[in-house]
Amino acid sequence: MSDRKLPRLLQTPAVLLLLVWMLIPLGMTLYFSFIRYVLNNLRRPEWTTPSLSNWRGFGNYEFVLNSKDFLLAIQNSLLIVCSILFLTVILGVLIAVLINKAFAGQGIVRVLLISPFFVMPAVNAVLWINMILDPVLGLQGIAVGSINDLLDALRAAPLVGGFFSLWPELEPISFRATQTSAYAVIIMVTWQWTPFAVLIFMTSLQSEDQQQKEAAVLDGAGTWSQFRFLTLPHLARPIAIVVMIQAIFHLSLYAEIEIVSRGNGNKNLPYLIGEFANNNIGAASATGIFAVILANIVAIFLLRMIGKSLME
Amino acid sequence: MGRIVLKNVTKSFGDTQVIPPLDLTIEDGEFTVFVGPSGCGKSTLLRMIAGLEDLTSGYIEIDGNDATQVPPSERGLAMVFQSYALYPHMSVRKNIGFPLRMAKMDQAEIDQKVETAAQSLNLMDYLDRKPADLSGGQRQRVAIGRAIVREPAAFLFDEPLSNLDAALRVGMRLEIGELHERLKTTMIYVTHDQVEAMTMANKIVVLQAGVIEQVGSPLELYHKPRNKFVAGFIGSPKMNLIEGAEAAKHNAHTIGVRPEHIEVSTTGGQWEGKVGVAEHLGSDTFIHVHGIDGCDPMTVRAAGDVAVKHGDTVFLTPQAQNIHKFDQKGLRIE
Repeated sequence: MSDRKLPRLLQTPAVLLLLVWMLIPLGMTLYFSFIRYVLNNLRRPEWTTPSLSNWRGFGNYEFVLNSKDFLLAIQNSLLIVCSILFLTVILGVLIAVLINKAFAGQGIVRVLLISPFFVMPAVNAVLWINMILDPVLGLQGIAVGSINDLLDALRAAPLVGGFFSLWPELEPISFRATQTSAYAVIIMVTWQWTPFAVLIFMTSLQSEDQQQKEAAVLDGAGTWSQFRFLTLPHLARPIAIVVMIQAIFHLSLYAEIEIVSRGNGNKNLPYLIGEFANNNIGAASATGIFAVILANIVAIFLLRMIGKSLME
Repeated sequence: MGRIVLKNVTKSFGDTQVIPPLDLTIEDGEFTVFVGPSGCGKSTLLRMIAGLEDLTSGYIEIDGNDATQVPPSERGLAMVFQSYALYPHMSVRKNIGFPLRMAKMDQAEIDQKVETAAQSLNLMDYLDRKPADLSGGQRQRVAIGRAIVREPAAFLFDEPLSNLDAALRVGMRLEIGELHERLKTTMIYVTHDQVEAMTMANKIVVLQAGVIEQVGSPLELYHKPRNKFVAGFIGSPKMNLIEGAEAAKHNAHTIGVRPEHIEVSTTGGQWEGKVGVAEHLGSDTFIHVHGIDGCDPMTVRAAGDVAVKHGDTVFLTPQAQNIHKFDQKGLRIE
């Protein structure tokens, strides 16, 4: 046992530092979540300093649970994360397989494909919501407008006019609206994070055993069977990694939500925390604890699903 | 059935021609070994037969049908790769059954065929393991099993034993030999190891730089090598090639004597030299003799244990009937 003591001793400072780094914020959040603590209250100035005498028990949690935005925030967090994961993994696999074959201009195409990943999240959101998704001035507005103009012209034309007058006028979608702002966030984050998936899948594809493929060819496997029985299982591990990393990142999305709709109809947990933290630190801390719980539930599910492929 | 005929086959990668026009016939049921040094084109040739490489020109016939444009999966050939190329995420059972599954055979029939193959290869206890949990020899057997279940017209082996350790290699060599005896299917086997070639083949094809140097039975190649290259390549230890005055006495540019066809004496003989390294194997002694004109060192294989040591003077006498003569171009003179 004694030969284990020294290594443990040497590890201690690092471990302690990490523990302190994690435990102090968590402890303070827990503490704030059980007291009344606001930044500004003229009638009850004693609430503006954190103190045990302002103990509220589970009051903050109750307040958060009863607030109308809480359920929406949880739903939205899950909707956004799951949709982005689903889309990036599928698009990532397809693009990676597509550009894995040698072709002219491969280098340039790869750089272009990776580049969205280097755009800052806030910039990404501004670009998408104003330049692309805007129903009037954005690409979407222009496209819908031109199609409508074309339809108008066709309606006026002889012979075919009758047929086209049956067609409805197209309505551009307003992505800042309550019902659609979550989709705008999903679209722009998918655009930004697909390259990450492509990058990881591509490196993995390059390490695929070519003799296995040749063996499969001789065994009578077509392109689809090779993909299904060799490439996909080979990609199981990188897919697990992509899902895990992205789940961690996208649970805490903030900039995109702020820029698209300022949380109007589209809040996730971090955004809700931000809103509470404008004044009510106690409620924000309680929401934070809920976020920790949600993240842990997601993590347990992910580890269950993914752990197997990582351990192999 | 599995008669394979190559006619005027060539292969070029870009501007480099790796296989100049080549003709070869492999009869049904034959165990043919392609042997040659690294980079001689033997693997390329095998991959061309399998359909994994396109032919630059010429054509391949399998059982009388032109197979040049037939996709690999329809040629009815099964291949065993050097790296085994097992599917890592599938169990042994699924690995062996994969070609049948691709052929859309029904599950009951697949199970039955897999079991039969596994039984004949002693793999019954490992059917539900993954390839990663198997030893090298077991993996090789799985790869062979995957080839057997297809009941192919011919088996292609691409250096299947070179990843195994020496002891296992001897065992697998025998197993593959047995398999051929049992199935009587055409087998084409690529190796750079002339011992494998000599022990397994009905017919050896010696290749150098994409050119067939000689085709024949192992003993034909041993007794009547067509040229200096084959003479040096077949047989272990290598044949001693002697040039200069000694060769001129036999009206040849070069003469060759195998180490086992030289008599050693400490008292007198045709050539005199000093012992360098003597390798005592128990059954044989390989003696490297220095100081003989035209061939330095000369290797001698003496039966049993010969008591010579470094620095001793020995006399060597070649067996006259076992001297091979070659002309200026290295071709055999009868």
